[in-house]
Amino acid sequence: MEKLNILVLEDDKLAQKIMAAQLTGHKLDMAGDLKSALGYLSRERYDIGFFDLMLGPDDDYSGLKAIKAAAEKGLYCVVVSSSDSEDVIDRAYELGARDFYAKGNEESNVADIIRKFVQNRRLDAGTDVFESAFVTEDEETRAAVTEALRYAPTDLPVMILGPSGTGKTSLARIIHDRSGRPGSFVAINCSAYTEDLLEAELFGHKKGAFTGAGEARKGRLLEAHKGTLFLDEIGTMSPNMQMKMLKAIEEKTFHPLGSERAETSDFRIISATLEDPKELIARGRMRFDLFQRVQGYTLKLKPLAERPADLFPLIRHFTKGGRRLSFTAEARAMMQEYKWPGNAREVKKFVDLVCCGPEGRIDGVIAGRHLKPRGFAPAVIEAAPASPAAAAPRPACGDGDELYALAMKDGLQAALDKVAEEIILRNLAGNGGKRTKTMADLKISTRMLYSVLKKNDDGGADD
Amino acid sequence: MTDERSSKLLHDLRSKCSSLKSAAELYKDCSPAEKKEMLALMKQAAFEISAALEKLGSGA
Repeated sequence: MEKLNILVLEDDKLAQKIMAAQLTGHKLDMAGDLKSALGYLSRERYDIGFFDLMLGPDDDYSGLKAIKAAAEKGLYCVVVSSSDSEDVIDRAYELGARDFYAKGNEESNVADIIRKFVQNRRLDAGTDVFESAFVTEDEETRAAVTEALRYAPTDLPVMILGPSGTGKTSLARIIHDRSGRPGSFVAINCSAYTEDLLEAELFGHKKGAFTGAGEARKGRLLEAHKGTLFLDEIGTMSPNMQMKMLKAIEEKTFHPLGSERAETSDFRIISATLEDPKELIARGRMRFDLFQRVQGYTLKLKPLAERPADLFPLIRHFTKGGRRLSFTAEARAMMQEYKWPGNAREVKKFVDLVCCGPEGRIDGVIAGRHLKPRGFAPAVIEAAPASPAAAAPRPACGDGDELYALAMKDGLQAALDKVAEEIILRNLAGNGGKRTKTMADLKISTRMLYSVLKKNDDGGADD
Repeated sequence: MTDERSSKLLHDLRSKCSSLKSAAELYKDCSPAEKKEMLALMKQAAFEISAALEKLGSGA
């Protein structure tokens, strides 16, 4: 635990004793009156101050004067008082108090205040989080993440929105790491399980609870006790499972499969989805009450295509401590033009590929070779385009998450059509717009090819 | 007793009662020496609470 310099202004001896017990491990000065507090403030440097306001039954809130002096010296001032008058609370905040707590629950309140103070000071101290844990130079993303991290040392649920590969899981882990919660970070991708398996995975099961349950197993909820449960792709949970999860979140108790004994777990929820939760609710795919329970603080991560300044910092981050790469202007241009539909995850894959190659200097040919399978077609850019659809660099086929989202939204056929369309346009782009070759390569009918071209506004051009 | 005086007295009472409650919660985890000290402070707080109640009663 970080050792802090703390000043306490408290006239009551018993209250002093209680505060001292809660602040064990820190350097503590205890002032019993205003004069003594002002003396300490003039001589010492403190990180945080706890102030009672009324110092004795006949005092006229002289603690407020100490708050003013402490705030001017940059202390984080916290009022711990039995005063409940709105006027006094307003005055304390106006004079520089940052927090105001009612006396009587010091055991949890003081610990919470210290935890929040330490986490927020670390956050204010620098931008280290953006240089290693969550690499971004995008101001908007930095502001959103910074704001989210201010809620890290609280129990508030956090919902992270954004396309696949934008760092939702990384951010959830950072929030947990800065939460001060002593338990583990437990992540589960809800889309990776059928309903029955997800229930067993989350709640655990007794031996013999179902066919194949040879041994009893602790569920993820229990593993996340005193820690964080990260529910990725929460929108893919079945309505029945959502109802069970809602109950577990609200009551912090649940029944493992096959067990009549309720288990208790004190977990904090962070959830993520690549879909719009409001749309999920409108379509009846997400329960509104579950959404209300898990949204807390909500932030949206932008795709890499909307924060192009992050591409090369991400590459530097992924090569840190390993092989350093250099990119020619041509390679850089190609990489900047590419949309990186897989976002940071795709950048990591690209870096892994080029790092394994023979050259540390990456030119357009090397970059194109590794971007091409993802839909980039440098040959088409260099040649006169045969048709607009053939000339445009194609984004990658929607990755698994996006295709799954499309299938859930518009049906399986829509997702299959999307895959077919991407493959046809990619092949067309790769062969310079030669339609007969595309039909031969992919063994598709003229009708299918032209339906795709028509959809992409390219029905008129010819081989 | 004026409203202001009564209000301050009630504030003092709330404050002392809160401290007494918190001290009772801490008591079991104290060492024997701390328990002795804590008990003395709790008795003093109880005495002051009683005195404040007397004042409140006499002013009513």
